[in-house]
Amino acid sequence: MTITWIPIITVDVLGAILMIIFSVLAIRYAWRLNRRDPDNLVWTFLLWVCVCLAGFAISRSAGHILKQMLFVAGHGAVWAHIRPVSGSLNTLLLIIVAAVTLFFNGAWHIYQEIFSERKMLQETQSELMELNRTLENRVQERTEALLKHEKQMAQTDRLASIGQLSSGIAHEINNPLGVIQGYTQLLLRGEKPDSQKQQDLQVILKHARNCKAIVEDLLHFARRSAPEKSEINIHEVIDDVLVFIRHRAKTEKIHIETRYDEKVIPMYMDEKKIKQVLVNLVMNARHAVGDNGSITISTGYDDQERQVMVSVADDGYGIDVKDLDRIFDPFFTTKPTGEGTGLGLAVSYGIIKNHGGEIRVSSEPGKGSVFTLILPVNTAGNS
Amino acid sequence: MALRGKPLFIVLAGALFLLLAVPHPVMATQPHGDPEGIVVHQLSHVFFVFSMAILIYWLHNRKLSVQPGWREIRYAAFFLILWSTGAFIAHLLDEQLGWISVSRMDTWTMHVEPSRGGVALAWLYYIVKLDHLLCVPALFFLYRGLGRLSSQKDSGGEPDADAKREDPA
Ligand SMILES: Nc1ncnc2c1ncn2[C@@H]1O[C@H](COP(=O)(O)OP(=O)(O)O)[C@@H](O)[C@H]1O
Ligand SMILES: [Mg+2]
Repeated sequence: MTITWIPIITVDVLGAILMIIFSVLAIRYAWRLNRRDPDNLVWTFLLWVCVCLAGFAISRSAGHILKQMLFVAGHGAVWAHIRPVSGSLNTLLLIIVAAVTLFFNGAWHIYQEIFSERKMLQETQSELMELNRTLENRVQERTEALLKHEKQMAQTDRLASIGQLSSGIAHEINNPLGVIQGYTQLLLRGEKPDSQKQQDLQVILKHARNCKAIVEDLLHFARRSAPEKSEINIHEVIDDVLVFIRHRAKTEKIHIETRYDEKVIPMYMDEKKIKQVLVNLVMNARHAVGDNGSITISTGYDDQERQVMVSVADDGYGIDVKDLDRIFDPFFTTKPTGEGTGLGLAVSYGIIKNHGGEIRVSSEPGKGSVFTLILPVNTAGNS
Repeated sequence: MALRGKPLFIVLAGALFLLLAVPHPVMATQPHGDPEGIVVHQLSHVFFVFSMAILIYWLHNRKLSVQPGWREIRYAAFFLILWSTGAFIAHLLDEQLGWISVSRMDTWTMHVEPSRGGVALAWLYYIVKLDHLLCVPALFFLYRGLGRLSSQKDSGGEPDADAKREDPA
């Protein structure tokens, strides 16, 4: 069969040129992939395949082009010398491409392993960081709780020793006071009414009574007297207290609001003493708001903890931060003599402690204060 | 795909056996140098087909061949197999079996002389000689595939991340 060379020559030469172009372009892309993600062995693998293929393409194409040029130029014999070298080189490069290709699986596996290990490492690291953060938070929480607890302990300690001291004094003073009162009353009996002496004795008696009231307060504070418990409804108690206060103090311009939680159940406690606490708190609030302001008394019930909360909030002058630690101290007062004895909160504190409860205070100077009683619900059986 | 596991090896072993068992008639019209040269070259073609086939199988197995980029690389491997097979046949016909002898009549004409199989074999030889029609598309697909892979990475997608999740291995 005799046939033209032209298609073979054309395809050979053109194809050889295209082979070189495409393989070089492929190398460029593989290079770029590899550069962008150098850890990925798969790209390295592809780069190697491309480089070897390009080497093969160039070697082969150069051979083909040269061959066709030599034949067209009539120097076919020269090709016979070049051919073995070109052919061997092609064979070698073909084998290399094939061999490198076989590494694909390995590259893939290695990359996968590296990838998953790195992911694991990252996960572990972030877990560790998370743990560290929670640990720090916890340490901080504990530290804060500890500080608060220490402060409370110091307060309790101080109040307890003050209580002991003052109850000792109160006891000592109580008897002489009783004697003073008794003799004054005796003397009063023998005096004519409206005489100067009678009036003087009245003054003595009045002050002796005041002293006795204070001494009794002190004794309360020192928890000397055991509570006389009965079942009470705290809402009724609050209502009584408010009636009492409205009688005694000018409260016309003061807005007093009550917010009762209907869930609150009856409690077993000393009604008189709880009343005394509430009177103290509401009187303090009344003093704080001045002539007009508002006082809110609210109750709440925590079913889980079995606690009743009673809070007395006012929008009065508030408490200075430096005073907050001391307001429960006996005789601590910011009020002028005659207006305050500084015993109200101290006594209230003693009473509430005696009931197994707590008094909490929060205040913003200039904005108001909130006093909260937290009372455990005791039924007659387990008190 | 037919190329799976052991059948592949059986086919390849058969091909190798055939190749090596073929007698080497030195009666060709052109000198060929040492017969080892051509045997090594043919073996390299077989090896090349083998590794491309394995690559196709792996790409298929890793479910990579459905992704743009890797799909083109698979086409490239496929065309390279066709090309390598064609080249193998051409070498077999003229250099190993000597069933075809080629002589240049002049610069633009050649004479293809089949000693067996008649004109059909001559045509077959003529066609497989146009092997660039197969290896140029192969490299074109390789270039396209890599281009796609690199543009995928440009857009932030991990091209092999999904396939990895599906990897049964
Ligand atoms: N609702 C309140 N608003 C502002 N300050 C208060 C309030 N309750 C108590 N305080 C402060 O606590 C101090 C101690 O109160 P308390 O023990 O009742 O004594 P007293 O009322 O006799 O001063 C008060 O002097 C006042 O400074
Ligand atoms: Mg008071």
